[in-house]
Amino acid sequence: MTDYPLLVIFLAIAIVFPLIPLALAWAWAFFFSPAKPGKDKGAIYECGIESTGAAHIQFQSHYYLYALVFLIFDVETVFLLPFAAAFLKLPLAAFFALMIFLLLLVEGLVWAWAKGILQWK
Amino acid sequence: MKSLDLDLLGYLHLLKVLAPEAILVVTALVVLGFGLSSSAERMRPLLTRLTLLGCLAAGAFLLIYPENAFLQNGMVVLDPIGRIFKLAILGLSFITVILSAASPVRRHFAEYLALILFSTVGMMLLAGTEDLLMIFIALELTSISLYVLTAYHKRSAASAEAGLKYFLIGGVSAAFLLFGLSFVYGVAGTMSLRELAVIAPHLANDPLMLAGIVLTLVGFGFKVAAVPFHLWAPDVYEGAPTPTAALVASGSKVAGFFILAKLLAIGFGSSVGMADWSQFRPGWLPILAIMAALSIVLGNLAALVQSNVKRLLAYSAIAHSGYMLLGLTSANVPGFTAVLFYVLVYAVTTVGAFGVVSIVERRRGGSQLQDFDGLYKTSPGLSLSLLVFLTSLAGIPPFAGFFGKFYMFSETLAASAPGTNPGMLWLVILAIALNAVSLYYYLVVLKHVFVAKPAHEIRLKAVACAPVIGALALAVLLLGIFPNVLLEPISNAVTAYTKEIAKPMQAR
Repeated sequence: MTDYPLLVIFLAIAIVFPLIPLALAWAWAFFFSPAKPGKDKGAIYECGIESTGAAHIQFQSHYYLYALVFLIFDVETVFLLPFAAAFLKLPLAAFFALMIFLLLLVEGLVWAWAKGILQWK
Repeated sequence: MKSLDLDLLGYLHLLKVLAPEAILVVTALVVLGFGLSSSAERMRPLLTRLTLLGCLAAGAFLLIYPENAFLQNGMVVLDPIGRIFKLAILGLSFITVILSAASPVRRHFAEYLALILFSTVGMMLLAGTEDLLMIFIALELTSISLYVLTAYHKRSAASAEAGLKYFLIGGVSAAFLLFGLSFVYGVAGTMSLRELAVIAPHLANDPLMLAGIVLTLVGFGFKVAAVPFHLWAPDVYEGAPTPTAALVASGSKVAGFFILAKLLAIGFGSSVGMADWSQFRPGWLPILAIMAALSIVLGNLAALVQSNVKRLLAYSAIAHSGYMLLGLTSANVPGFTAVLFYVLVYAVTTVGAFGVVSIVERRRGGSQLQDFDGLYKTSPGLSLSLLVFLTSLAGIPPFAGFFGKFYMFSETLAASAPGTNPGMLWLVILAIALNAVSLYYYLVVLKHVFVAKPAHEIRLKAVACAPVIGALALAVLLLGIFPNVLLEPISNAVTAYTKEIAKPMQAR
């Protein structure tokens, strides 16, 4: 309870801290540097090279379906690993519970397969 | 945290308590499997029947399995009040499936039905849990299924837009909810609502706890479409396939308000707060009061200018969310009972109204007000049902909506201690005044139905779901005349529940 005022002070410092150099830089630019914009000066630097062509290219929407199916089975592994690690200590019921979980995923895979999602078009 | 170890018997018990949900999941998987066959188009009636059968089996199991359960420290709970709401949710999904049977959804019908079943499972889990994590997971199961269902009109831009809006806003609201719940967990150190009820009185004024409550309420505000978190509702109601809209408006609202009431009553029961200017105390009550007032005003006023009946029903739904939030500000057991009764009545009424809209939409190609012109000439039964639904929503006796509203408002007024200034008087007066405004837009729809000259001479063919809509209208009428049929079980169940939880809700 008593820690909260301290947090507020931290927050204030955190906001002021980046503002000071920004303000200094702005003041420096305002008083000392003349504005002379040019092609090279206005170029984006430190952010890679200038892009060529439009960024609005079309992806195969199939790619996302693949990624989704992959994601589900990737996450499944996360559940399988602790199960495998503790396999010998688990009761029989846990084994059945995980088999049901796997069956659900298998049905999903069968469904995706039958719907032709795994076929790259 | 108590041990989660379960032996085989424990799992069997868990399966028995969750059998209705398990039945629905199995049904959904079977329907999905059938949908894979090459003749899926011709199997529509079979798939629908299978889904309905699953719902019936789940309901029957709920009815014949009378044992109450409290498993895994409240993760899975089965009690009388939860049973009533699970049955109600099943019934609403049942009607949604019947409405879907003739819906314009042509392709991937099996998946459509399976998604309805999955969202039903989510809502039923929501009605049967007292655990913050389970609440979140069940809410997400419901929402994600509903997002997909909303965008199911593949060729309709409005449906896609509605689905995207619902998904994005729903995702943000889920983030708020999770953030809020994590605060609550961080402060209280427990996920269980009953343990929270024991710990929370010591944390009543803890800033983090209050922040958690506010964020949680923001999340729920999105889910029940209360102003200022309502922006998705009109687009979703208008753009979604009408059966989906019916489910969003009825089932998900029932489940949302049920779990919100439970959360506020048990988990946050000690952080009620005060909404009076003179004796303001922070808590969830002032927030609910503000959300209720805004919803009632904006919902009713915005509905006045709508030309699409589905959109009109959406704004009416926002206003009704406001009324129900108002009921929750009573913060006592009778008030919560009134809200639980009203949300069920509202769901039955609104699913019926959407049923009528879906038939008109299918036969006349739209749900604009003009599409309802002279409906009475061509299909009087449907028109009379719509009359019952809309006047019940407007709160005119003898329909159930009147009794529900009357009961809710009077319990809210009665909640303040005798002799003192009734805290929520201003809100109740506002609600009643704007309820009178709401009568106008309901009557505009009815004017188009009964008075306007029909532009279409085509007679609406009798459809399979017409008897269901008639039955719903009859139910709304009968519940208005004999409210005790539903009120008494709810009231008894709530009383039993309050006795059961160790610490009763804090009196105001």
